[in-house]
Amino acid sequence: MYKYDAIDQALVDQRVVQFRDQIARRLNGSLAEEEFRPLRLQNGLYHQRHAYMLRVAIPYGLLNSKQLRTLAVIAQQYDRGYGHFTTRQNIQYNWVNLEETPDILAELAKVEMHAIQTSGNCIRNITSDAFAGVAADEYVDPRPICELLRQWSTLHPEFAHLPRKFKFAINGAKEDRTVLLCHDVGIELKKNSAGELLANIYAGGGMGRTPILGSLIKEDLPWQLLPSYLTALLRVYNRFGRRDNLYKARIKILVKALGPQEFARQVEGEWIHIAKGDDNFSQAEWDRVAQHFSRPAYKALITLSTEDLLSNLPIAEKVAFARWHERNVRAHQVPGYASVILSLKHHGIAPGDASSGQMNAIADLANQYSFGELRVTHEQNLVLADVEQTQLFSLWQAAKKQKVALPNIGLLTDIIACPGGDFCSLANAKSLPIAKAIQERFDDLDYLHDLGDISLNISGCINSCGHHHVGNIGVLGVDKDGEEWYQITLGGEQGNEAAIGKVIGPSFYADEIPDVMTSIINTYIGQRSHDESFIQTYRRLGVAPFKEAAYSNAKAKVQKQDAQGVPA
Amino acid sequence: MTTATQIQLNPQIIYFPKEAEPSLIQNEWQVWNGDQDEGGIPDLGYEDQKVLVPFHWWNTHHKNPDLIERANKGDIGVWFAADDDILKHADMIEAGKGLWPLVAAHFPIFRDGRSFSTAALLRDRLGWQGEVRAIGDVLIDQLLQGARVGFDSFELRPDQNLELGLNQFNLFSVTTQNSWRGKRSLLEA
Repeated sequence: MYKYDAIDQALVDQRVVQFRDQIARRLNGSLAEEEFRPLRLQNGLYHQRHAYMLRVAIPYGLLNSKQLRTLAVIAQQYDRGYGHFTTRQNIQYNWVNLEETPDILAELAKVEMHAIQTSGNCIRNITSDAFAGVAADEYVDPRPICELLRQWSTLHPEFAHLPRKFKFAINGAKEDRTVLLCHDVGIELKKNSAGELLANIYAGGGMGRTPILGSLIKEDLPWQLLPSYLTALLRVYNRFGRRDNLYKARIKILVKALGPQEFARQVEGEWIHIAKGDDNFSQAEWDRVAQHFSRPAYKALITLSTEDLLSNLPIAEKVAFARWHERNVRAHQVPGYASVILSLKHHGIAPGDASSGQMNAIADLANQYSFGELRVTHEQNLVLADVEQTQLFSLWQAAKKQKVALPNIGLLTDIIACPGGDFCSLANAKSLPIAKAIQERFDDLDYLHDLGDISLNISGCINSCGHHHVGNIGVLGVDKDGEEWYQITLGGEQGNEAAIGKVIGPSFYADEIPDVMTSIINTYIGQRSHDESFIQTYRRLGVAPFKEAAYSNAKAKVQKQDAQGVPA
Repeated sequence: MTTATQIQLNPQIIYFPKEAEPSLIQNEWQVWNGDQDEGGIPDLGYEDQKVLVPFHWWNTHHKNPDLIERANKGDIGVWFAADDDILKHADMIEAGKGLWPLVAAHFPIFRDGRSFSTAALLRDRLGWQGEVRAIGDVLIDQLLQGARVGFDSFELRPDQNLELGLNQFNLFSVTTQNSWRGKRSLLEA
């Protein structure tokens, strides 16, 4: 993975010094809170419900074991012994002290990490495919471009105060695992027949209050020209994006108002003046960065089939291992290797949470089984990307001891959830207790496996950090007169057939949600044909039978809610 | 005689020309915000004061003989509001190159970054070689960004500590993208 050079290191070290001074000025009163706010946000520091929360960047999800150990130390020394991996490949600490944040950032800088631009109205941490460089379905390894753009966007002066936050996702695989179309800018990488690396640019996607899928605005952009093209795009947004209304300030609103074609035309009109400038990337820069993403020292192995893997296992372990292998192991580009997803969705634990002890143990697993590296997925799990197939059984046994081997990847309890009202000051409602209640209701692994692929995403408010819009089942917390209600959406999907879910009707009480889930799931089971997945059944039948089932047991409360005028 | 409301008047500015050290100098320019427009620039309280007038106001009054006379003496500059689309007025700005000693771009509030793009466009696109001043809600934590996109003088909000402001420019010895002041850092071979 990428290693900082002297420039990168100087930048993060000096950023710590800058932030230390800003905090000192805040503490001595010479910097007002309102003016400090964007400064701390651009360093990932939020003021939350109970304390400050620090969001640390894990650029495009890549992490080494040494870094993970530092994250564990920070959790132990500065927080309450755990961290929360987020849907944007960051980690959050929920209980930090303002005064100590420069020290935390200094610790991070020692292992080539930072919290730069993990919040604020700027270009955020760039996200990508957690299986970059190893996925069997990959066209182009996106990591060199991710790193080049990380550097380009870091402390970019012109785009430090955009109308609103700005999120990039970059994908180079056949299947989209980045929720590309729900980003302000999605960059799709591919190669043409001459082997040249090109980018398609999608703009104006987003979740939040107004979920919209991005539109293709540029095709076949040579990779070298990304900085000038993105400068043009961001400049149009910076100048003309709305600043009068927080809820209409994202680029999606501008793209929608102008229309994608007109937006693309304006970007092109700007770009034509700078397209040939020396902002663009050079081959030397590519070489400098890309050398760090060369393949590790893979052994010459042969690919083993599942039968091969199972053949020598103890009978008692076979079924459980096979199930884990089916759900939590992914195909690799290199014969004899596989990628393993460590589930951070153990039932009863907040989705994406890991304790210091788990982090240290997982760092050991990364060293032992996967060249000392790991990745964070946007579904809030961790990946050991380069595991020898012959080591899978041994890894599985070790992972079980750390409670990160639940075979529920892609299943109903692999819930994406934001921290919600337990922590977040933006949230209207709690999300973690809802996740927990659903995991408790559906705690039977046989049953979960029989249900197969279903995504369930929970957001505690319309900011949609839990990506509820693209969950097959989405749960959104809403507030009415101090009471927490939950709105259900169905039919969302991420990936190549990305879709925004549709609201099924009036909201539910928290305690109704497990029953509502049961009703929806039972409808699927009753109606599915053969091996149809949940989303396929939903698409065939539409919302009606699911809706009817969901409300059949909740009518009384819905009526009360209607009488109170709770928004759907 | 009327006394116009000013946006602000800081007696000192930070002056940071390209390839020079930043320093504090006397502020010679008053910003007129366009209030109390009675067809000409109102008396701002000083004789022969150099005045930055709103660009949109210049656009409608640039043929006014009094204004031309003052401009010819080098006493008139213009400032761009955050929502002025300067690219639509490239001709007027081109003509201003021989007339205005400086131009300014306004920050209605510190977290509004539009004027960063205005400065970048003035430098890169419109080829403005003279001074570009940041005015309005300019705080010391914007100085570094402003200096990189194309500003070379800063009239800070009066409550800002100018000495602290001067220290903001050398916080970083490296950059990872090009800017008006220089190219991104490269490792020595």
